[in-house]
Amino acid sequence: MTEKCITCQDSRGAKSTSGSRICAVDDTTAIGALIKVTIDGQPVKVPLGTTILAAAKELGIKIPTLCYHEDLCISGVCRICVVEVEGMHNLQASCAYPITQPITIQTHTTKVRLARRHILDLMLSKHYGECYSCVRNNNCELQSLAKEYGVDFFRFGHVDKPKFGQDKSSYIERDMDKCILCRRCVRTCVDLQEVGVFEAVGRGTETTIGTFMDLPMIEEICINCGQCINRCPTGALKAKDPSDEIWEAIEDPTKHVVIQTAPAPRSAIGECFGMEPGTAMTFEMNTALKYCGFDKVFDTNFTADLTIIEEGTELLLRLYKALVQKDETVAVPQFTSCSPGWIKYIEHFYPEMLPHVSSAKSPQQMFGALIKTYYAEINKIDPADIVTVALMPCTAKKFECNRPEMTDSGFKDVDFGLTTRELAQMMQEAGIELTKMEKSDFDDPFGTATGSGVIFGATGGVMESAIRTVFELVTGEMIESVFDKANILPVRGFDGVRMAELTIDKIGPVPDLLKPLVPNWDWLKGATLKVAVAHGTANAKRVLEDIKRGGPLSECHFIEFMACPGGCLGGGGMPIPTNEKIRAARARAIYQEDENSEVRKSYLNPAVAALYDKFLTDGPCGHKSHHLLHTGYTPRGSKVV
Amino acid sequence: MQIIEREKLALLIESLKEKYGNNRSALLPMLQDIQAEYGYLSGLIMQETAHALGIHPVEVEGVASFYSFLRTDTKQGKYVVRLCQTISCDLAGKARIARQFENELGIQFGETTQDGKFTLEYTNCLGMCDQGPAVMVNDRLFAKVTPEMVPQIINDCKRDFIKTTFPEIAPSDVQKEGPLLQNTVAMGDGLKKAVVMSRSDVIAQIREANLKGRGGAGFPTATKWQLAGTAVSDKKYVVCNADEGEPGTFKDRFLLHNQTDMILAGMSIAAYAIGAQKGYIYLRGEYLYLKKYIEEAIARRQKANLLGEKILGNKEFNFDIELRMGSGAYVCGEETALIESLEGHRGEPRNRPPFPVDTGFMSHPTIVNNVETFIASAIICANGPKWFLEHGTEKSVGTKLFSVSGDCEKPGVYELPFGITISALLKEVGAKNTKAVQIGGASGHCVPESEFERTIAFEDISSGGSIIVFSQDRDMLHIAKNFMGFFVEESCGQCTPCRDGNVKLLEGIEMLEEGRCSVSYLNELVKLGRTIQIASKCGLGQTSPNAFLSIVENFKNEILGRVPEKV
Repeated sequence: MTEKCITCQDSRGAKSTSGSRICAVDDTTAIGALIKVTIDGQPVKVPLGTTILAAAKELGIKIPTLCYHEDLCISGVCRICVVEVEGMHNLQASCAYPITQPITIQTHTTKVRLARRHILDLMLSKHYGECYSCVRNNNCELQSLAKEYGVDFFRFGHVDKPKFGQDKSSYIERDMDKCILCRRCVRTCVDLQEVGVFEAVGRGTETTIGTFMDLPMIEEICINCGQCINRCPTGALKAKDPSDEIWEAIEDPTKHVVIQTAPAPRSAIGECFGMEPGTAMTFEMNTALKYCGFDKVFDTNFTADLTIIEEGTELLLRLYKALVQKDETVAVPQFTSCSPGWIKYIEHFYPEMLPHVSSAKSPQQMFGALIKTYYAEINKIDPADIVTVALMPCTAKKFECNRPEMTDSGFKDVDFGLTTRELAQMMQEAGIELTKMEKSDFDDPFGTATGSGVIFGATGGVMESAIRTVFELVTGEMIESVFDKANILPVRGFDGVRMAELTIDKIGPVPDLLKPLVPNWDWLKGATLKVAVAHGTANAKRVLEDIKRGGPLSECHFIEFMACPGGCLGGGGMPIPTNEKIRAARARAIYQEDENSEVRKSYLNPAVAALYDKFLTDGPCGHKSHHLLHTGYTPRGSKVV
Repeated sequence: MQIIEREKLALLIESLKEKYGNNRSALLPMLQDIQAEYGYLSGLIMQETAHALGIHPVEVEGVASFYSFLRTDTKQGKYVVRLCQTISCDLAGKARIARQFENELGIQFGETTQDGKFTLEYTNCLGMCDQGPAVMVNDRLFAKVTPEMVPQIINDCKRDFIKTTFPEIAPSDVQKEGPLLQNTVAMGDGLKKAVVMSRSDVIAQIREANLKGRGGAGFPTATKWQLAGTAVSDKKYVVCNADEGEPGTFKDRFLLHNQTDMILAGMSIAAYAIGAQKGYIYLRGEYLYLKKYIEEAIARRQKANLLGEKILGNKEFNFDIELRMGSGAYVCGEETALIESLEGHRGEPRNRPPFPVDTGFMSHPTIVNNVETFIASAIICANGPKWFLEHGTEKSVGTKLFSVSGDCEKPGVYELPFGITISALLKEVGAKNTKAVQIGGASGHCVPESEFERTIAFEDISSGGSIIVFSQDRDMLHIAKNFMGFFVEESCGQCTPCRDGNVKLLEGIEMLEEGRCSVSYLNELVKLGRTIQIASKCGLGQTSPNAFLSIVENFKNEILGRVPEKV
């Protein structure tokens, strides 16, 4: 009868499905019911159960919020969004108040403004640190509200020394002296991601946002997805920033510093320079990176294409072994392996399912390994002098590049993972106005990439690329014969879990590249390829549980998992704020770049073909590629004691 | 060795899961039992419990650290001495008892003796306000403790209470009985009458009696039952709020001990009226010693087919009651916090709406009523509403139980009609030379002499029954400080105004004590107090500054410009 929040099946106070609806509204009465409300004298009709906050938004009336976040269920704890409802003595939290009858609301009476000011004063009295020494300076919700409400003195005092100190032990850094206890990180970690690093601990004035047993982040079961950072209203959470070390490398004349740039950052970095979300800045960014001093700027999409070849081949081999050779030890469905947050998630929570995960490294790590081998070789540079930086939308990539096994080139394959936010900061430090930069292309020999590589940045993108390539390699037909303009719409979008099927009606000859691996495709004739896509680890959990139960998802052949909601474009290293609208805009930019690409299928990337021709001569999943481009995983479990 | 420990723990957790259910609502009773076994909840215990219930370890820690009777840091002593620090016991000389315990055991409050035998802790309101100072040791209660009793209590502990000099349950003095306490309803009478009526007729009777919730808010009981009764759901719940935590209230403790069957009868009638199959009594952790009496009473009713399946032969009426213990959190008296606690969460109040009658325990329609409300309902069902209507005022019908403590000759439980003036009440309880009366506990109002002709009723000064009398020689600032300290500790900590605002009010009181608070800053704090009243999330927060505000308003002359005593 009552709606349940899709992310938190568990009870956590009043819940919401989309942030604007409170769940506890009886659905049968809600159908078609419109309620007339008056806000600040303006009438509006809203569906039963709409919150005051959402109704006000409809009228263009701004009500301040802090604990409210569109991606999260309703909490109603900060109380900054209180408003006056006619006939009620107490103020009501507009984010948590569902409209069920006609009401009249005032959003900025003296009573309301004083209450909000008091709440701000109380938060500021405990908020240690100065704005100018904070990573969120100029992008802080508390700071903005202090300005909007004219805070020019500390009415109830101000702490003069830190109480907690900072935890810089891991890639997610915490500074609880800046925490305002809005619990957005808790709801992100527990409800949205179901990882469970943070929870409110203690009671009353002693309440803090704690980690289990107050352990430093490095010892916690954390997947480094950074979603908490993206949703923190203040500077209490940040990522470990490597930019000082990168500047140092750039200025070291003995170092050859190259950067690979993932597809998602280019769709969002403009936001840090005042552009609308969804403005692609790919080529301006290339110029700016050179201006910063990087010797070469490469496109991670190249190794995304390579990933498709390696991972697609691995999939075909798995299916061949399972279906033809009846090898029962082969784990099907195969899971993607590009998202390091997802990898750490499954290592912790479902280690027994690790055999399902493709052994292909992520594009970032493939690139690192190739730069310090292939690229070093053809350019006659000592790999010891190469510093590889990876521009990523992701905080988990920082952990990934530091995994001890990621040294197959003989060196640390990727030296630094740099987030979109951190690069924007570096550019600002270098006085770069990104929007005024000229356009320039990526550097060779990895310059050419396909549209398939670009869409790795959105949830469903890996699957779409894989289908484009695998379908054409098997059938010899154009994917356009099935999906208009090669746009595989069933795997796109933001639904938490999506499934799609594709029947292979006819088969073609085995392409040369794969001839050593499979004799023919006869065994795939008439087969229906079942795939699924999940983004956000809470959804990943749903899929894994379904597979364990033997549910419909267990019949899939291939499943894409991304740790972050929306995929990489919603990554923990992307510009703040984030919400579904912003993520959709970034997705549009990414799919647009795909459509604009001359080549849109990974296997048709000439640079990839050249790589197999000249360097990985024993082909996909061959000996050399196995050494450089594949990896293994660590069953970690979920116990810290 | 470590492996054996882990296995032992795993077995215990497994058995507790079987006992309390394999879902999160089992969490609190599981933690209570494990702590009883291990003395505290170590990281390993929290982790293993979390995994057993399919939740995250930090969520268990969030719960364990919320309740003051659960501990996650160090092992508690074999005997946990909890001395009540709330106002009535404070006025009765708690400080000297504390000093003597520290002298005898050689440790400070908050510490455990080296031999692991004793832990000294302060606690908030043990519900012994008429017999303070009160001390609880594990599940034993000691009333009217004097410093010379302290070594005796310690000796009793050392002898494992095999021979004890103190009564098992310190009785409360009933100073005045009325129709509620004098009821002669036999076991099963009320329910027998109810089950032959239609559900709506049962509710109609309650409505006719105009019964309003006895917890203090005064919500019409029939309306609450009606809303839950008409809500469509396969499961419904009846919850008895026995989390009597308001400082100065102890009448429920008395009722839970002496009118247990009537409470169960009221719950069963409510269950019949709304169509519930399951009931919970949420008993505050401080009343652990009442557990066995209540469970015995439940068993008696089960045996008499007044609880269980097909009650009184009615094939469609199945209802049973389970007792759940709180673990030391005043806020759990707030009904949505109580439900959160029952569900195995931190006792943090929910946003309202939705209300429990629609979305309560496990998202099902739930009614939460006070102990006294259930008793009144049971008697109304047994005897009809007429007797009830003969008492009280038009808007506040019936009699009300009052818990009277503080500076008066006859503290104890009183059953008096609603509408009684404060001065009449003071005369009744033998209070002389009274400066002020705290009505409604810490969250109530401090009423000065000039307002003693006001009445206690929902339409004037509403109260759940707590009456604390302050005589002329009491320091009102000291009283305000005690109340604010209570709220700073007992705020659940989720919403900003209550969590951080009350700290500022307490700091303001300390400034007043030291004589360094300007009137303009005091006015600022009064404004903040009003914000806390109107902007906090729940009833606790909204009433938390009441005592501060009324003392500042009425006793400004007494609290300003103090010259602190030189130490």
